[in-house]
Amino acid sequence: MFQFRTQVKALQTAILFILLISFSLRINAQEGKALFNAKCASCHAIDKQLVGPALRGVEDRWGGDKAMIHNWVHNSAAVIKSGYPRAVEVYSQFNKVQMTAFPELADKDIDAILAYVSAPPAANTTPGSAPSSAGAPADNKDDSSLLFGILTLILAVISLILLQVNSNLRKLSDDREGVHAPEPVPFYRNKAYIATGAIILFLLAGYFVFQGAQGLGRSQNYQPEQPIFYSHTVHAGVNQISCLYCHGGAQDSKHANIPSVNVCMNCHMGINEYAKGPKLYREDGSEVDGTAEIKKLYQYAGWDPTTRNYTGNGKPVEWIRIHNLPDHVYFNHSQHVKAGKQQCQTCHGEIQKMNEVYQFANLSMGWCVNCHRETKVQFADNKFYSIYEKFHEDIKNKKLDSVTVEKIGGTECQKCHY
Amino acid sequence: MKKLSIISLLLVTLMVAAVSCSDIKRKPGRVYMPDMAYSRAYETYSASPIFADGQTNREAVAGTVKRGELLPFHVAKDKTGDTSNYYASKLVKSPLGEMSEDDKKEAERLFLINCAICHGPKLDGNGPLWKDGDGPYPSKPAALVGDARYENMPEGQMFYSVTYGKNLMGSYASQLDRKQRWMVIAYIKSKQSKTVAAPAIATPTLKDSATAKATTK
Repeated sequence: MFQFRTQVKALQTAILFILLISFSLRINAQEGKALFNAKCASCHAIDKQLVGPALRGVEDRWGGDKAMIHNWVHNSAAVIKSGYPRAVEVYSQFNKVQMTAFPELADKDIDAILAYVSAPPAANTTPGSAPSSAGAPADNKDDSSLLFGILTLILAVISLILLQVNSNLRKLSDDREGVHAPEPVPFYRNKAYIATGAIILFLLAGYFVFQGAQGLGRSQNYQPEQPIFYSHTVHAGVNQISCLYCHGGAQDSKHANIPSVNVCMNCHMGINEYAKGPKLYREDGSEVDGTAEIKKLYQYAGWDPTTRNYTGNGKPVEWIRIHNLPDHVYFNHSQHVKAGKQQCQTCHGEIQKMNEVYQFANLSMGWCVNCHRETKVQFADNKFYSIYEKFHEDIKNKKLDSVTVEKIGGTECQKCHY
Repeated sequence: MKKLSIISLLLVTLMVAAVSCSDIKRKPGRVYMPDMAYSRAYETYSASPIFADGQTNREAVAGTVKRGELLPFHVAKDKTGDTSNYYASKLVKSPLGEMSEDDKKEAERLFLINCAICHGPKLDGNGPLWKDGDGPYPSKPAALVGDARYENMPEGQMFYSVTYGKNLMGSYASQLDRKQRWMVIAYIKSKQSKTVAAPAIATPTLKDSATAKATTK
């Protein structure tokens, strides 16, 4: 009996002890996460090599020598100088970039970080379930034009049959009343029918010829396949990157520049896989492997993601230009973006929702001129238009409520053609 | 009979044409007069047979200074494994004086376009690309406000990092000219001095020692 009681007691303390240890470990790991994010995360990730190595399994790589890891974090330069083999190895492996010293981290803080980075990875939260809802291919939109076409056809056939029935009935009633009707002509010899058909055909042909002729030189909805599947939905929509981050030239010059590869690499030095965004589809419905597209970028940039160095074999991406104005038209982006304060979307459509960019506006002269007639110039707080003193005065005296682009010469021929 | 077959053939071809017409327009279409539509001169992004790299776009000659642009930054980029210039850049002072209100507004705009995407509109290192770890970026961007390391970083060293890149951050020299870079740094410094009294970010055990020790590196 007595022995049994001691056993129970021992068991209790053991359980308590285990609980305590696991609890303190968990606290350790939680604290470790906060510390990791504050101190380490700008250069290290747990499972991915960034500026510094991936930290999972770091204790094993250092042969479990915790004291040495503490020394390393406190002052890595001293450890390298002392010639500790692992320290020298890591130092030379990472292009001799020295790790920032963290003398302020106590040994138990470092242990907490180590506990956090060695904790098993959290179970993946149902991959693919969330992203798949957004961006599904748009093949399920019901094609109402086809339905209407079929309906029209059916109605036309019915009306033809009714017409035939009508004429037959009339013929019958005429026969009964003794009125002599002329021999009926079949409908394809009926002159009225032929004339109507000819006119309809003529109008239709005229319409298509006109449309085709007008469409020459305009390429609305032009949507070429680009060398890299670059999704504006992901960059400008989901990740909220400003248009001007990449196309900064739009505010400074005639051209909205196409970013050179180094601008892409500003972010893609770090982001080397497409894992968190919505699923992407090409216009033909095939799915896009985002990570493979980023690999293509590395090819162009001449970037070796394993050694994290440029190989020097880069070449520019040959993007296909979508918006082309004829050579005899002058257009200046900075005039519209900087002075006129127009949004990119006014002319380019909802770019932040386009996976593959297409030409939104038809870029015809009528479209330009119409916008210049309707758009009101932002006169207030805009130094660019300060020379129009009379207009400013008229606005101040309430003679005018607004000035359109046309009024300051926006529809003069030589503004765009010279 | 012959007529019927002709009509049915026409109908079939019409239907095939209608079905085969895709609404994805992969070709730009034709133009009336190609010599008026396409430039005879080389345009900015057109290919050029003259230069070895096949591009019309040229870099400015080394050492070119744009009109009205600030003079070049004389600290060169460190070679791999060397950090002497990075530390030497601490001594460089901003050539800009006190900024006007317009310049301050412009500096904020430039920061929001070019920097806030990672460092956050509030400069707390929590931009849309990081989003507390939910964004695509694999590492946490520097918290420019609230982290003693960056609060105490001299403006010259910041300029070095923005110009040549540091760690995972790339060079912004192609996106911001020298004056714009100094303006953005002045903006960051103005935000930092405002919040310098605020407590450091969530590092409960280190709050006291962090500010004192950070200057030692």
